Amino acid sequence: MKRTVPLMIVMVGGILMMVQYFIPHQYSQVIFNNYLEWAPIVGAFALILGVGSLTRLHTHKIRRKAQNWQYSWAVLIPLFGMPLFALIIPQSLGGGSDVHGVHDFLFMHIQVPIQSTMFSLLAFYIASAAFRAFRAKSALATILLLAAVIVMLGQVPIGDVLGKWLPNTGLWILRYPNLAAKRAIMLGVGFGMLATNLKIIFGVERNWLGGAGK
Amino acid sequence: MYDTIGIWVGAFFTLAIYSFLYKENPVYRLAEHLVVGISLGYTMVLIYNTVILPKLLEPLFAGNHWILIIPGLLGLLYITRFIPSIAWLSRYPIAFIMGTGMGIGFPLTMKAYVLRQLEAAMVPLYESGMPWYEVFGNIVMIFGTLAALIYFFFSKPHKGLFFGTGSKIGIWVIMLGFGATFGFTVMGRISLLIGRIQYLLGDWLHLIE
Amino acid sequence: MSAVNIWEKMLNVDRRWIFLGIGIVSIVPFLIGFGMPISTTIEVEGIFNFVNELGPDDAIFIGFDFAPGTQAENMPMAVAVMRHAFHNHTSVFMTAYVPLGKGMAVSALDYVTNPKTDGYYERVLYEDWVDYREAGITNKEDLTTAWESDGNVLPEGAVGWVFEGRDYVLLGYLPLFHLVILGMTGSIETQFPVDYHGNPIGDMPILMEHKSLRDVDLAVTTSGSSACVAWITYGREKIGLPIAFGVTGVMATDYFPYIQSGQIVGQMGGLRGAAEYEVLLKENGITRTTDKAFTGMDVQSAAHIFIILLIVMGNIAFFAGGFHKQTRLKGRR
Repeated sequence: MKRTVPLMIVMVGGILMMVQYFIPHQYSQVIFNNYLEWAPIVGAFALILGVGSLTRLHTHKIRRKAQNWQYSWAVLIPLFGMPLFALIIPQSLGGGSDVHGVHDFLFMHIQVPIQSTMFSLLAFYIASAAFRAFRAKSALATILLLAAVIVMLGQVPIGDVLGKWLPNTGLWILRYPNLAAKRAIMLGVGFGMLATNLKIIFGVERNWLGGAGK
Repeated sequence: MYDTIGIWVGAFFTLAIYSFLYKENPVYRLAEHLVVGISLGYTMVLIYNTVILPKLLEPLFAGNHWILIIPGLLGLLYITRFIPSIAWLSRYPIAFIMGTGMGIGFPLTMKAYVLRQLEAAMVPLYESGMPWYEVFGNIVMIFGTLAALIYFFFSKPHKGLFFGTGSKIGIWVIMLGFGATFGFTVMGRISLLIGRIQYLLGDWLHLIE
Repeated sequence: MSAVNIWEKMLNVDRRWIFLGIGIVSIVPFLIGFGMPISTTIEVEGIFNFVNELGPDDAIFIGFDFAPGTQAENMPMAVAVMRHAFHNHTSVFMTAYVPLGKGMAVSALDYVTNPKTDGYYERVLYEDWVDYREAGITNKEDLTTAWESDGNVLPEGAVGWVFEGRDYVLLGYLPLFHLVILGMTGSIETQFPVDYHGNPIGDMPILMEHKSLRDVDLAVTTSGSSACVAWITYGREKIGLPIAFGVTGVMATDYFPYIQSGQIVGQMGGLRGAAEYEVLLKENGITRTTDKAFTGMDVQSAAHIFIILLIVMGNIAFFAGGFHKQTRLKGRR
């Protein structure tokens, strides 16, 4: 029940779905369509794992007064405040409309700026890394460096000003050698994914069972 | 008023995050924690409004879709993950989603990642009217793909004309590819900063349009 | 102080000086505004030409498959394509592969329909034109004529009307979106019974004309992750749906094989890709001005030059200081 049944579900489900692709029979379509209705419902509940783990982690921190425990409130309050404001008190702040409630405010004016700015910090770090770590130590490193510089210049308007050959060479690198390298990687990834799919379907790969009881 | 307050709050948090560049500080830590709570809270609302309510509860309460109780109960088994004695039950929904997902994905992944790519790698090197750099490009593309594949083939030692030279050419091609990726990565990171500067100078301070 | 010490000092410079430098080169060009021209590439022209051929009987999907983290790159792409489609009266379905993408879709729609935006579209909400629907007026041209003949005047600055449920519908996010794509190849309505306002989409004219992805002409995925590939795997490879990519700079180089194989009609790579689309819109008279992506390209030029200078200086100090002969370099903040 604990291991065999889940492994059976994976195998039967996997084979059934693989086969239905090649047999577009009426019955296989009915099963397939029902599955497509069911899957998002089952998938939606996976959110419970995220919310549960996060809540447990931060309530523990608060209870044990762990280091920086005060900040855990900054996770828990919006975590449950968002549903509260969206579903129970969705009153508008902007006068009558159904939008512009506290829920939208928190998303648009706190979440969006913070997340965008966090990602943009990488601009500073990549500049620092370019200065400290990007060295032409060998022939291969030099090739990498030259390709990077040509593409960087070719992609911006100043590249056109410096000489038409810059964007042209940059595009040539992108369209041919870059394409060759990425296609080789893509083929490798593709075969890897297919092999993993088969290993999971046939129960060879079982790590996903995790440690939830033997 | 709503927008003005919103933009000031947004600008405050933007600067709070940038303060990290000077030194780690409490305002940055606050922002960092807020973002986790808000994004998951937002997702909860969304999942309820787009799945749980219209696809499960409403049809169930309408009384004509009792069959949906099966995916509903299967989904609820995720909760057992938090009850150690019956935590193994949470494997059932995972198995359902994973097994079927793998099966559905198999033929389509084969097509998208493998068959189409192999087909596209077989192009004529030369066609009339093709400029020299395209002909040279096609040679680089076809033999470069082969050479890069040889480089990733670890079952044979990289020695001799085929595996040795092949893998050497392969690594050169890969380095050109990685160089291009680095160039684009720099571009991408700077673009993200540009977005924030436009927000601060434009939306907040109105210094630019 | 010996010569070596100068190089070492240079390499160990407090990184906050570099941060300050990036900050300056990212602000100054905005204040000066060079407006350097941008040439367009076949990768972006491919998408533009495809959308340009579409008309009022056609429909496209715009996938907001990104979170706020990459909105600076992805948002201008989505906005540009949306404006192009609205201009051609082509219907637009908006979806999101990631939860926060739904908020991005709302944001993009708000921008395109905001009176503060140059060349905006005046939005008519679904419930506001119920009488016309009930009277069977759903054809774009007839609808606009009937709407205006009832005394509705296009506000100054607006370039057209967009009717919710006819010109666009915001479907939003669903979990396991790759399966949702597959599901939509059979029926859009079974996957999204209601739109983000809760309106049943089965009654919408946009859906009556385009019931499944098989009736859709193009899906443009603006993506900050590998989500875009799902559109190829589950949309393109299942039913041959034409796909276009709008991806971040970090990912753009990975997807060149898809362009050459013909699996996508084109790709906007990073802010540059979005800027090219804006230029094409302006050159073809679809918009009066370029937008945020084009404006940002001056900064992009300055920052790239600055970073190349850093690479050059770092290498000069590294080799002139003889550090290439040493195994370790003393590190400091």
